[in-house]
Amino acid sequence: MSAPFQHHRVTPWLLMAPQLAIVLVFFFWPSLQAIEQAFYVEDAFGLSREFAGLANFQAVLSDATYYQALGTTLVFSLAVALGAMSIALGLAVMADRVVRGARGYRTLLIWPYAVAPAVAGVLWLFLFDPTLGLVSGALGHLGIAWDHKLDGAQALALVIMASIWKQMSYNFVFFLAALQAVPKSLLEAAVIDRAGPWRRFWTITFPLLSPTAFFLLVMNCVYAFFETFGTIDTVTAGGPGGATTTLVYKVYQDGFVGQDMGASAAQSVLLMALVGGLTWVQFRYLERRVQY
Amino acid sequence: MATLRLDGIRKRYPNGMTALHGIDLSVADGELIVVVGPSGCGKSTLLRILAGLEPITAGELAINGRRVNELEPAARDIAMVFQNYALYPHMSVAGNMAYALKNRGTPKDEIRRRVANTAALLGLDDLLERRPRQLSGGQRQRVAMGRAIIREPQVFLFDEPLSNLDAKLRVQMRLEIRRLQKRLGITSVYVTHDQVEAMTLADRLVVMNGGHVEQCGTPMALYARPATRFVASFLGSPAMNFLPVTAHAGGVVLPNGAQVALPAILPEGDAATLGIRPEHLVEATASEEAAATLDVTVEMLEPLGADTLAYTRLPGVETWLVVRLDGAHAAREGQRLSLALPVAHCHVFDARGARVPMTGREDAEALAAQ
Repeated sequence: MSAPFQHHRVTPWLLMAPQLAIVLVFFFWPSLQAIEQAFYVEDAFGLSREFAGLANFQAVLSDATYYQALGTTLVFSLAVALGAMSIALGLAVMADRVVRGARGYRTLLIWPYAVAPAVAGVLWLFLFDPTLGLVSGALGHLGIAWDHKLDGAQALALVIMASIWKQMSYNFVFFLAALQAVPKSLLEAAVIDRAGPWRRFWTITFPLLSPTAFFLLVMNCVYAFFETFGTIDTVTAGGPGGATTTLVYKVYQDGFVGQDMGASAAQSVLLMALVGGLTWVQFRYLERRVQY
Repeated sequence: MATLRLDGIRKRYPNGMTALHGIDLSVADGELIVVVGPSGCGKSTLLRILAGLEPITAGELAINGRRVNELEPAARDIAMVFQNYALYPHMSVAGNMAYALKNRGTPKDEIRRRVANTAALLGLDDLLERRPRQLSGGQRQRVAMGRAIIREPQVFLFDEPLSNLDAKLRVQMRLEIRRLQKRLGITSVYVTHDQVEAMTLADRLVVMNGGHVEQCGTPMALYARPATRFVASFLGSPAMNFLPVTAHAGGVVLPNGAQVALPAILPEGDAATLGIRPEHLVEATASEEAAATLDVTVEMLEPLGADTLAYTRLPGVETWLVVRLDGAHAAREGQRLSLALPVAHCHVFDARGARVPMTGREDAEALAAQ
């Protein structure tokens, strides 16, 4: 009986090896390299480098554009996370009520998730193109001059919309599953306890969704911080005038466009620390409130 | 304080399934009605209709003489205890009980007072701040009761409230529910599939089968005079013995040719079923007025302590004949017993399962009851 399990000291490691290898090669190694690089100044061709101590961090933290990018990132992330979550919740509540053709609606709502970020970006770019776009044309008729290539606020709004649209499906799937896991008898008990539909949602359903909402909040923040790179790059490329340059986009710009590897590495270390800290705060203060 | 009246209540689901085929029932003020039946008999549907969770297809439902068919559950002033309790997991015990009052806009002081009173009544004082997941099954059950009681509703509805508890707790909670219901005097409808629970709790019992009411009456009346073979088989433990018989002048005949002398009013030659409860089969003595004497062989014994159940076989009859013997009885497996069928306790059901009347029987029982 026990023969197949005798090598149990080695087997688990073997089974985990592929995943561990991926994490080590693609996460820990580059992360360590970035941390190392943050303390060096390198020439543009990568031929020589010199230990610089905290000079890279000093340069980044005294750069006004870094703070601009930080501000942009906070506004962008907050808008994307809240927008994507609230719209997804609204859609999930409606999809949960549909009886006829429910599968069709659900599939359609999940689809945007299968679209690559760059493709999603191009889609929105066409819709809002100042000269060709359908939406920008319609806005023009309403007397709103749309040109996200000139107007920083409009550019930010556009990347926010595109990012929300992309992330909504992911949130939708989780919210729908969570809604369907709410026991029907609880809602019936609430009906008998004289709670109207609105009150029922906010006092029974929503609290029961809170663990899911918390998980999604963390995931959406990570998404907004890191994974929106493709969308921003295709739609605005960080412009105009840095209005849509988020921290992760600035890492790319300074490192791979500006060839300032030291500053770029220092920024990515700061970014890692920021997201790590944010996640810690979320777990520390929010998770306690959502347990039941 | 309320009366309930059900008048030809029918329920047909959109998929064409008919769950209830016209239920008529009147419930007096303060009465505890137990609806009992096997799963799928429509008893839960009936309860959900009373609560307003399911719309009524046809018929009329009235509380205190007022038609409530179209009323929302919230407007019916009923409280329901669910099978899985349906406690709000994110609220404390106090929060669970206060929820309905809050929704009604009851002043905070009064909510606090009523929560304290209800908690005291149910022995929940020390648990008010706990969450449902921190409670045992019995405690959760109590909270579910508290949530219903605190509203002082017109009608209590219970949907198999004890089925998730272990056997010992079930007996204890059964007594407690009975005590509370009598003390508060609130009209109640209690649904269960457990016949012991049904017999012990009910003021009146409604036995349902296949969306029909088979019989309605006091537990003892149903036990003594089941109107159908279904009711006879459903109530009483161990279940009633049924023997296939043929009607004959002056009684019925068993498959092995033995004659049973009964004043059953049944056309000669009709197929029928003879029913006799295990506790009514007695060892034959000369003094007993017996419809027949059956010679059986004991095949298996189940000692229960106070009683011993003997699984016996009658030559030429396939089904067991279960006999309840005294615990001190010295029966052995393989032993032969001579059993008397007391006329007063024999039940005859026709081929459709309906009770066959016997001449003089009702009079005889009325006399015996005096």
